[in-house]
Amino acid sequence: MAVCTIHPTQSLNPACSSIASFHQKQGLFCTYGSRAIMAKRGGVIIQNHPPSPGVVICSAAGGSDTLVIGLAADSGCGKSTFMRRLTSVFGGAAEPPKGGNPDSNTLISDTTTVICLDDYHALDRTGRKENGVTALDPRANDFDLMYEQVKALKEGKAIDKPIYNHVTGLLDPPELIVPPKILVIEGLHPMFDPRVRELLDFSIYLDISNEVKFAWKIQRDMAERGHSLESIKASIEARKPDFDAYVDQQKQYADAVIEVLPTQLIPDDNEGKVLRVRLIMKEGVKYFKPVYLFDEGSTISWVPCGRKLTCSYPGIKFFYGPDTYFGHEVFVLEMDGQFDRLAELIYVESHLSNISTKFYGEITQQMLKYSDFPGSNDGTGLFQTIIGLKIRDLWEQIIATKTGAPLEAAKA
Amino acid sequence: MASSASAVAIGGPARGTIPSSRSLGSGRSSCPRVVSLPVAARGGGGGGKAGALAVRAMAPAKYKGTRMREKRLAEMIEEKVREASEVCEGDARSDECKVAWDEVEEVSQAKADLRLRLEKQQDPLESFCEQNPETDECCVHFD
Repeated sequence: MAVCTIHPTQSLNPACSSIASFHQKQGLFCTYGSRAIMAKRGGVIIQNHPPSPGVVICSAAGGSDTLVIGLAADSGCGKSTFMRRLTSVFGGAAEPPKGGNPDSNTLISDTTTVICLDDYHALDRTGRKENGVTALDPRANDFDLMYEQVKALKEGKAIDKPIYNHVTGLLDPPELIVPPKILVIEGLHPMFDPRVRELLDFSIYLDISNEVKFAWKIQRDMAERGHSLESIKASIEARKPDFDAYVDQQKQYADAVIEVLPTQLIPDDNEGKVLRVRLIMKEGVKYFKPVYLFDEGSTISWVPCGRKLTCSYPGIKFFYGPDTYFGHEVFVLEMDGQFDRLAELIYVESHLSNISTKFYGEITQQMLKYSDFPGSNDGTGLFQTIIGLKIRDLWEQIIATKTGAPLEAAKA
Repeated sequence: MASSASAVAIGGPARGTIPSSRSLGSGRSSCPRVVSLPVAARGGGGGGKAGALAVRAMAPAKYKGTRMREKRLAEMIEEKVREASEVCEGDARSDECKVAWDEVEEVSQAKADLRLRLEKQQDPLESFCEQNPETDECCVHFD
């Protein structure tokens, strides 16, 4: 039975001043400030962040107070755009840990820590070559360690996580990770191992279609001396069998899938610039109410551009409706096209429901914040932002359920 | 991992080891002043069109260690693409072939990530070099 005692700092938020000591299973939350004090059996670890006002969370060992989100995507971690949108919704910019290994894949913000699952590679680049396995292959990854460490963080214990160095292809000495409020694990296999899957409070799969993947990789690689259209194509094709077998098959487990396809608005478009994005939301997920258009459960086809709103070519087209996805009942919200002006964005936002915003225009504000990022004018940015808001909502619901009465007492 | 002027360790700065030959306090006097070549102009419209070469303006790396790393990654991409093409000539469906292209993907992504960070002015060596400005990797590039 662990007891956690907190000594309040001088700049304490008055709402938290009643925190004194805790019994196991009770967690008191003051969702302000950014210094997290975590209890480990018999000891206290203070997170090494720059000093900031307020005491935040004390999580007694045994209470799963860290929210764990899984994000599955191909190619590299620090899906910087998605991560930045996600972490920005919770507050604070996520950055690599200062003063540590410059090749660390981890991102840390005030509320969120993002871990790259490549750090759990069991085989480094040489090892994979010797064994003839790609990084996509489960044999290249240590799922036991992944499970152990994600579980530890979820339970409020700090871990020494290995670092996989993408530049050298070697496994570097570990870095200390302290349990955050929100833990995001991103990479190729967040939902592959059933034990890890169980730990996830919410999971997302980013499903990029082959045509779009090809277009994006061209944009990414064509400036490099070694690359050509052929090499980019060959690389995608060679990895496809492993990708389909080990990564793509996880999408059936995801609570939300963001599917990125070429547009249907421009015939024969292959540039991958105008996108058709589908947000597939599983029904019946605890604390997660799918976003809908106009009438929940109906099938709606909506072209917002017309008399009230003028849009430039190729315009915007929305679709919403129920469907089945790998045997699950889902709702699909789809956007094809691009936003051209602020007015279009706010118009669309005002017609969406269950978006978990805290004020009117919050989605638009978030999208504008990162207007220089890819996807800021289409469904990718829109749905990533919405998912961020849904996760925030999920988290607040979980906290409200856990704390209930004690939090009310603290507020009084 | 000791670093020398001619062979910078790719795995980043020599953490926890004594910095190379120069004594502390000599400042940056041993970092040569390098005149950079003009940056390639940004090509119009980006690289979306198949066949058009997308030329990006490269955000200059601040520290020598990062420039070396960029250079090394670029070389690795070329090397590994060549390797993969050779290996796959034999059997395009062999394990060796797919591993070779997987390596190409890995270094291509690593290079892209580095470029993105530099565009955002977040040199990976920033906080290390703040604490250890005398090391070779932290020679600052002057334009």
